[in-house]
Amino acid sequence: MKRILIIDDEASITRSVKLNLEALGAYEVYQENDPRTAVHTAREVRPDLILLDVMMPDLDGGEVAAELQKTPGLQHVPIIFLTAIVSNEETQGREASIGGHDFLAKPVDLDVLVNTIESHLED
Amino acid sequence: MDSPSAQPVPQDPPQQRRSAPQRRVAITAACLGLVVVVAVVDYLTGVDLSVSLLYLVPVCWCSWSAGRRAGVLVAAASAEAWLTAVLLDGAPIQHPWVLVCNTLTLGGIFTLVATLMATLQGTQAVLEAKVVTRTAKLGREVAERRWAEAQLRQAHAELQRTQMQLIEAAKMEAVGRLAAGVAHEVKNPLMTLGMGTDYFLQRRASSSDEATLLQDMKDAVHRATGIIDLMLDFSKPRPLRLAPEDLNAIAESALGLLRLQLLKQHIEVRRLLDPALPQLPLDRTRIEHVLVNLFTNAVQAMPEGGTLTVRSAFQQAAGTDDSPAVILEVEDSGPGIPHEHLPKVFEPFYTTKPPGQGTGLGLAIVHRILQIHGGSIALGNRPDGGARATLTFNLHPQPPPP
Repeated sequence: MKRILIIDDEASITRSVKLNLEALGAYEVYQENDPRTAVHTAREVRPDLILLDVMMPDLDGGEVAAELQKTPGLQHVPIIFLTAIVSNEETQGREASIGGHDFLAKPVDLDVLVNTIESHLED
Repeated sequence: MDSPSAQPVPQDPPQQRRSAPQRRVAITAACLGLVVVVAVVDYLTGVDLSVSLLYLVPVCWCSWSAGRRAGVLVAAASAEAWLTAVLLDGAPIQHPWVLVCNTLTLGGIFTLVATLMATLQGTQAVLEAKVVTRTAKLGREVAERRWAEAQLRQAHAELQRTQMQLIEAAKMEAVGRLAAGVAHEVKNPLMTLGMGTDYFLQRRASSSDEATLLQDMKDAVHRATGIIDLMLDFSKPRPLRLAPEDLNAIAESALGLLRLQLLKQHIEVRRLLDPALPQLPLDRTRIEHVLVNLFTNAVQAMPEGGTLTVRSAFQQAAGTDDSPAVILEVEDSGPGIPHEHLPKVFEPFYTTKPPGQGTGLGLAIVHRILQIHGGSIALGNRPDGGARATLTFNLHPQPPPP
């Protein structure tokens, strides 16, 4: 079973994503709401994929991603950014990405989220 | 604007200047002739004092018209002529010295008159020249003042334009900040709601009512997301992907997207498209968005059916600063737009549609897209009823405002 770590400062979001993905029966989902302890959690969980919020207090998604990429064993874990301050139109057909990672505009539809996760896990 | 050229001081043409000495010689000769005539008259009338005063006529004329030297010459000739007349008259002379004295006195008086006349004429010429110079200077000053006033008016107009652009930019910045803030604060809860709805939709609903309710909730999340996305796109439009495009083809494609709705509402489409339109640098997707928006507004204005007219044309002087431009007009046969609404239709969040049916961002976005293309849009009513949107695409677009 694939391990997914979702990092978002809003507990309601991590909770609802965890419930949805686990209901599919294919993922083991871990949640983290404090960006400052996110890297520590990731080291413990060893996820196959990370869902990462962009705008968080204290440490934003970009900084967390940079920390993750410096951590041995986590360099090649795919990251999907979730952001609330872009429109859906901006995420479609967009060549650019955040630090080479995909990003999705909140609110994300479950099927879009699952498709994106699957495309990364297949690679 | 160029500085005005100095007004030239009026001058005699070169040809007239060259003939001036000849004119003086001619006048002097005529005056000498007149002196001879006066002398003859003087002799025939027995050298009377009153007739002798006639010599003053050629003296005055010559010194006035031909200058002091010619005047003195004619004065001397007059004294000489008077003396000759007296001698020929043969009247008894008391003493030869009296005759010499009289001749010299008369010559002196004539010379004095000639000098006075020449001086007077010179003074008048100087005065006239001064008047001409002053008039020219005044003309230049008036032209300079008019030029400065025109400059001032132009500067004022530019200042007003810049001010409007600054206000517009400040408004956009405020909307942008608001949009980003609202997006962050609203899209996170929407994510929770959406994910919650998805969770319950995945589990089989216990009744069809429950399933409908969940789908309605899902649609509501989508609608709210759509509004926030419109706000985000309005406040910070993504960069244009410009390519040479045929505006007629984009109009056709936008009409194609609404085909079903046009059929359903029995709306006749009149295409008056100029086949010779030049290609324009456009972002096809965004212009199609503009046209779909305008066509949808037109369709909504004609619920009982009507005519939608799409007209395109190339015009030599319809653009900014009378530059060549392509015009596209969208007309409907609906009730038109109430006059009190016209000044506000492009303002963000201004809508006349019932709650839930319009965001008030459609025309604001249309306006914005035209603006970043360096074009413009005007909305008004046709004289014979219905609304008309006029889109202007400059052939050489100006840089868009910030």
